[in-house]
Amino acid sequence: MAAILQNLTYQGIPIWRHAQIIQWTAQVLSGFLVVFLVAWFFFNIANAIDEREIPYGFSFLERAYQTPIGQHFLPYETSDTFLYAFVVAAVNTIVVSIVGVILATLLGIFIGVCRLSGNWLVAKVALVYVEFFRNVPLLIQLYFWFYIVLVLPPVREGYAIANRVYINNAGVSIPFPFPDGAAAAVCWIALAVAGMIAGIAVHRGLTQREVTTGQPSYPLIGGFATAIVAGGVAWLVISFVAGAPLVVSQPAPQGAFGRIAGGFTVSGGLMALLIGLIMYTSSFIAEIVRAGIQSVGRGQIEAARALGLSPMSTLRQVTFPQALRVIIPPLISQFLNITKNSSLAGAIGFSDLMNVAKTMTQTAPAINIIILVMVAYLAMSLTYSLIGNLYNRHIRIA
Amino acid sequence: MKRYFKYVAGAMMLAGIVAVMACTGDEPTAPAPVTEPTAPAAATAMPEPPTDAAPTPTEAMDMQAGSRLQTVMDRGHVICASRNDVPGYGFIDASGANVGFDIDLCRALAAAVLNDPSAIEIRLISAAERGPTIQSGEVDMLVRTVTWTTSRDAQWGNYAQTMFYDGQGFMVNRSLGIDSAYDLQGASVCVTQGTTTELNLADFSNQNGLNIEALTFEDTAAVVAAYESGQCDAFTNDRSQLAALGTSLADRDAHVILPETISEEPLGPVVPHGDDQWFDIVKTVMSILIYAEAYDVSSSNLPSAATGETKKDRLLGFEGSWGQESLGLNQMAAQNVIRAVGNYGEIYDRNLGPSGIDLPRENGRNALWSDAACSDCPKGGQIYAAPLR
Repeated sequence: MAAILQNLTYQGIPIWRHAQIIQWTAQVLSGFLVVFLVAWFFFNIANAIDEREIPYGFSFLERAYQTPIGQHFLPYETSDTFLYAFVVAAVNTIVVSIVGVILATLLGIFIGVCRLSGNWLVAKVALVYVEFFRNVPLLIQLYFWFYIVLVLPPVREGYAIANRVYINNAGVSIPFPFPDGAAAAVCWIALAVAGMIAGIAVHRGLTQREVTTGQPSYPLIGGFATAIVAGGVAWLVISFVAGAPLVVSQPAPQGAFGRIAGGFTVSGGLMALLIGLIMYTSSFIAEIVRAGIQSVGRGQIEAARALGLSPMSTLRQVTFPQALRVIIPPLISQFLNITKNSSLAGAIGFSDLMNVAKTMTQTAPAINIIILVMVAYLAMSLTYSLIGNLYNRHIRIA
Repeated sequence: MKRYFKYVAGAMMLAGIVAVMACTGDEPTAPAPVTEPTAPAAATAMPEPPTDAAPTPTEAMDMQAGSRLQTVMDRGHVICASRNDVPGYGFIDASGANVGFDIDLCRALAAAVLNDPSAIEIRLISAAERGPTIQSGEVDMLVRTVTWTTSRDAQWGNYAQTMFYDGQGFMVNRSLGIDSAYDLQGASVCVTQGTTTELNLADFSNQNGLNIEALTFEDTAAVVAAYESGQCDAFTNDRSQLAALGTSLADRDAHVILPETISEEPLGPVVPHGDDQWFDIVKTVMSILIYAEAYDVSSSNLPSAATGETKKDRLLGFEGSWGQESLGLNQMAAQNVIRAVGNYGEIYDRNLGPSGIDLPRENGRNALWSDAACSDCPKGGQIYAAPLR
């Protein structure tokens, strides 16, 4: 009797403590929440657009933009469309982010290694660098560099080096080879890519040789040399066969105001932006690199030194390859930060994507432009993430 | 097992927060869902469009006709979007107060609606932020040297009244030796982002084939710094602002404003779209300022009783009406305005005139139309508003 009663009353775990039920409830509840939040935002925007009679639509993209863009890397005329102007501005941002990423990484690695230097002075200088640049807000740093650039003499009183290089507060202008038309541009890019592939092939071959035979083969130097020589030879050949694919444009003062035209100009705003972004981001990268290096066991370094490797070789062959696995994931997010932080450029007069987009909101619907800007930044960031993650997968221990 | 409880508790808390947000946003009168914060209940309540319930003081999102006046009264102060970086229009004075022509217009509105000129909140925004700020309806009035253009009127909000007629000019360093804006061939010109100035500069350059390079900055301060250091050859803005900003240059005499005026820049306050009553109130306050000057009523000679002059008495609320009731304003609102900030002429003199940045007014466009010797001869200025009756 007692056994039967116990069977009847004992129903297993009570419902509020049943793992599966709790899991399901939580899932359904949070699913509900997400859907509801998204719907709420959506209705809110839709209502606001409706009630405030805000124009909506993307037809403006075909209209002529009619407004000048400061510095731009793609050719641009004021008669071009909004869409093209948007692309021009996006390319400005992409150039800043790529140059910024490369230089900030190099500088960051250098500072990070210096942080761990046995030399007291070097280590402390690197420490001060890191602590200063990562603890001052980026916008303030940008203003600082902007005012530093303004201290340079104005364009008509600027420095001219051999009438080839011009330095003034409007920017630094240098002679630069530009492709002579679209066909030449394709030809030039093809050459550069071919040279790079040749360089990578040689680097691989020499690495293989070094590993199998043990003879020093200098793969890095060999690779770079091959790329440059192959590219140069191919360019010369094409120059002789088909005329010059590149025209070297010389900067020179022009017009009544002595503005520098021709060549390649890094404008004052771009200079300040790049210096600011690189200094700021490199201080974070330095800390990431330091953490990565310190994560490699001390035994590894001692073993390498015991085998007779020089400190430099130890760093390059033993410590760094292992540290890389710790460094890469946070490094990717620093690359994303550079891209996103470059949107502060408007403060110092460089026409990045955000700056141009803000000007566009004057003559086109603001919400649509902001949506386009968000999509553009998202696309850039996701592309960087993808590349970074592929590399991360490549170097990880299988 | 314990972590699932945490999870559920977290979800319930989130649902509670959302329910509270939902209630303050759309249904301020219904506190019920707060006690039972279940997500589905809130979800059914939420996506419905806002009803005609009165908005809470912090939430000025409801756009039903007539609601903004109520919102402002409940809130107890007027929110204006303005600036503090241009002498004359909006600047910080020696005592640290934000003063200027634009600020005074906001004070006048507060005096009319709340009988307290100091009941204002100034939101400092950049030029490029003006459109989104007024579009969103988060401020009651945008008064930040805003030029009236047709597409802004269509997209941003309603322009109440032109309070200052301006035009765009160029400032250059005297040492350049140029005396016309048409000589700016190939020059680099500094300009503030998000302004009509920026667009007019593009038009001027395109039309005259000048190939001007524009350097755009978010802040006026950065524009001035770039111009003063010679990063750009010229600096373009509304002429009155050039004059105002010129006063902050280290060596004012080294700079000259070129004679050409390349655009029309009617400046005035803007209100958000969708509330006709509020739009009318702002227009009327501007009319009060202008007609007070025309009728020679100022803060120093404000009559305390009916004067016997019909127009004056109607303005001051002693007899008749200029629409106080329909607008939801106090019968004596005009007196409150004039006592607080004075008439148009006083505001002009204090900020833009002799006591301010000293822009000449007499016989200019910003003199009163009624200053003309007779009603038909166009010798007065262009300052004119809807008659108060």
